[in-house]
Amino acid sequence: MSLSPYLPIVGLFALAFAFALFSVAIAPLIGPRRYNKAKLEAYECGIEPTPQPVGGGRFPIKFYLTAMLFIVFDIEIIFLYPWAVAYDALGLFGFVEMVLFIGAVFIAYAYVWKRGGLDWD
Amino acid sequence: MAAEVLARSLAEPAVLAADVKLPDIDYLAIAPMLVLFGAACVGVLAAAFVPQRLRYRVQVSLVIGALLVALGLIVTVARAGRAVATAGGAIAIDGPALFLQGSVAVLGVVAVLLIAERSLERGGAFVSRASLTPGSAADRDQAEQPGATEVYPLVSFALAGMMLFVSANDLLTLFVALEVFSLPLYLLCGLARRRRLLSQESAVKYFLLGAFSSAFFLYGVALLYGFAGATGLGALRKAVQAGDGNTTLLFLGLAMLAVGLLFKVAAVPFHVWTPDVYQGAPTPITALMAACTKVAAFGALLRVFTVAFPVGAVDWRPVLVAIAIATMLVGAVLAVTQTDIKRLLAYSSIANAGYVLTGVLALSAAGVAGSLFYLVAYGFVVLAAFGVVTLVRDADGEATHLSRWAGLGRRSPLVAGVFTFLMMAFAGIPLTSGFTSKFAVFSAALGSGQVTLVVVGVLSSAVLAFPYLRVVVLMYLSEPAEDTPTVSLPGTLTAAALAIGVLATALLGVAPAPVLDLAAKAVQFVS
Amino acid sequence: MILAQTVAAAGPALDAAPALAAAGDVSVGEQVVFWILAPVALGGAIGMVAARNAVHSALFLVTTMFALAVFYVLQAGPFIGMVQIIVYTGAIMMLFLFVLMLVGREASDSLIETLRGQRMAAIGLGIGFALLVASALTRGLGAVSAQGLEEANRGGNVEGIAAVLFTRYIFAFEVTSALLITAAVGAMVLAHVERPKGMKVSQKERSRARFAEGSYPGMKAGPGVFATSDSVATPALLPDGGESDRSISRVVPARGLTSAEAAPKHTER
Repeated sequence: MSLSPYLPIVGLFALAFAFALFSVAIAPLIGPRRYNKAKLEAYECGIEPTPQPVGGGRFPIKFYLTAMLFIVFDIEIIFLYPWAVAYDALGLFGFVEMVLFIGAVFIAYAYVWKRGGLDWD
Repeated sequence: MAAEVLARSLAEPAVLAADVKLPDIDYLAIAPMLVLFGAACVGVLAAAFVPQRLRYRVQVSLVIGALLVALGLIVTVARAGRAVATAGGAIAIDGPALFLQGSVAVLGVVAVLLIAERSLERGGAFVSRASLTPGSAADRDQAEQPGATEVYPLVSFALAGMMLFVSANDLLTLFVALEVFSLPLYLLCGLARRRRLLSQESAVKYFLLGAFSSAFFLYGVALLYGFAGATGLGALRKAVQAGDGNTTLLFLGLAMLAVGLLFKVAAVPFHVWTPDVYQGAPTPITALMAACTKVAAFGALLRVFTVAFPVGAVDWRPVLVAIAIATMLVGAVLAVTQTDIKRLLAYSSIANAGYVLTGVLALSAAGVAGSLFYLVAYGFVVLAAFGVVTLVRDADGEATHLSRWAGLGRRSPLVAGVFTFLMMAFAGIPLTSGFTSKFAVFSAALGSGQVTLVVVGVLSSAVLAFPYLRVVVLMYLSEPAEDTPTVSLPGTLTAAALAIGVLATALLGVAPAPVLDLAAKAVQFVS
Repeated sequence: MILAQTVAAAGPALDAAPALAAAGDVSVGEQVVFWILAPVALGGAIGMVAARNAVHSALFLVTTMFALAVFYVLQAGPFIGMVQIIVYTGAIMMLFLFVLMLVGREASDSLIETLRGQRMAAIGLGIGFALLVASALTRGLGAVSAQGLEEANRGGNVEGIAAVLFTRYIFAFEVTSALLITAAVGAMVLAHVERPKGMKVSQKERSRARFAEGSYPGMKAGPGVFATSDSVATPALLPDGGESDRSISRVVPARGLTSAEAAPKHTER
């Protein structure tokens, strides 16, 4: 297939990459350099940092719940994409089916909300 | 240059597929599934908005009501004599589909009766809040709280998915249905009130292996699409008939598809999950899986092999025959060595999968009818058997180790009698449904010349009778020990489930003709 | 919502792919991109399996998924490419990372085999299966050229998907919502700890508890305050000269420091 429609995207990627590279590279060159005694001293931090915070670096499970809910609605959005693109061709039938679909996923949302799945504490 | 391309791509309106032809949907034909899906959605809302004390009643009546309405609709559709491929040809509502959907609905009602039981144990067989760490202080506090009511919408989703699974006429729809009924089952397996770690382990095992098998299934679908350029079962058959496709893709795809389906029916060598999951899951859910999942999985297996691949049968039949033989033998032999009643029933269900496969492999109308009948008959027996397992309890919940069943016949002759009858049905003693159903599949297999299958089937049945009889002997001929568990008085719901199961087993053994006729009439697939 | 808008906005620009190359015809650009990205994808996959650290594994997997997304776009499937990026590299990978965090970043496989020879058998069978599938696919697909691709993508790839999604697969599509509901309900059931109403601690109650009799409302003393060393193992000195054990991290004794190590250190003069 012809890849020319993707040229703008490739260009954008290149721009983003170049900008990041530029920012990192330019900072030490143009940044101010003011040294004082404290800055030049080797940092002494006492004992070695403990390798892990308490609990072994584990996250509470509520983060997982949030991630899972995000995926559910992310996948819902994926289905909106072709529907939105082909909206004119699908007409009322497509609209009704999409409303049904969103309505059904909204049930999950209502359940999660009511049972406090979106509360943080 | 990039700017030019960008400008062009923005200026060029996307060509719209103006010729999208909207599908004809026969709403009556798919109404049973719609009812059940709708009930499940309402159930989810009820789990959130109905006050805690009313939830249980609302949920149970919702599921059972929806199942009965669905059953009524199935009967209506069947009476009207419809056999259609609807929703763009992706769903086939024909004889086998209606028979299997009806079976799922009836067996589903019985399973829900077991699931909804709350008098054997305070709060029922399901944990109240599954998110609490097993063994923690909060977990001990919830020991007597009522079980989670999310169980019921999940069961509805599973049953609706099974109904779609047996009527899907397109491999992609089949896959979605597979996921729709599997996902709730994975969850339900992990929600037991007692022995929660075992239950959660079984859920994880089932989920991981199930996800693997789904991946195999999907890869198979992709390869078959590569072969035929379509995923509809009818289109696949035409492509196989035309015979000008790439046969490597066909066989590889078919093999992977079969792995996915055979995993769900628990055929050897895709059976390893069965004993662990059956043992760890809450017993009513085990009953649901043993009865309804088996019906659904075999329904799809029958449809796929009968509708899409009858032409290539010469090539795939020997493989499936080998699998059926291995399934019957491994299931029967390993059942002999079991010391836990739930694991024993799990291995017996593996062996029974082999017997149904025998009917499927007859590849004849009689074979289809025999398999359909077998699935219903086996479903009732296994539901009742697990129902009895829920009754035998001690302070720690169900006493599933076989040694604990010693002397049960003297303490509670009625329950032991019922279980003996069910064991006889499993063993295929005449005047029980086990005999008629085995007869139906074996005679169908003989009719199409599958002598090896029948010989192995009969031999393995004889082997399998041993563990059943051992349980019976243990119950009657052993002295009750100090720690022989008491048999709880069944609540109304379990009693009803047991009564239905035992009655059906007896009726299908004594007067099987109406159901056999129904199955014989229901063998015509459409595509 | 933002995602949806981005996706919808990107839609027309992506879909207006001009005439696709004829079947079996591979353009130079496609070849170049393939040969650049194929090693990247493969390297990512190998790295994912080989990496010791689970987080590194996940990042390797992201690389592979991105490379695959570009392949999909290359194969005239922009929709599946976008799905790969939005759902897989976005959402699913995030879930992966969360699961890794749940298990603990440092958790590693136990090297004890519960079944003898299982690991070797699994590796052997896995390689055998991969070889079987790969060789069969090479044989099966070697001479195959894409058919009907142009036809399917005539009205645009995404429009084509919409057309089948809303006709033949309309019921499967609607039923997918059941899958999403099940996922949300399941996540809630398994992961959401619902606190009974009385157990929720409000700000007011917290504050009361803090100023209640017998508790010390002020800040904890920081390590090194009034001390002669800035090691975290050095306890702060209270105004009366005593040591405040509130100032030492709970972790310090847990690490089993000797009393000499934990004792106040004095700088050498």
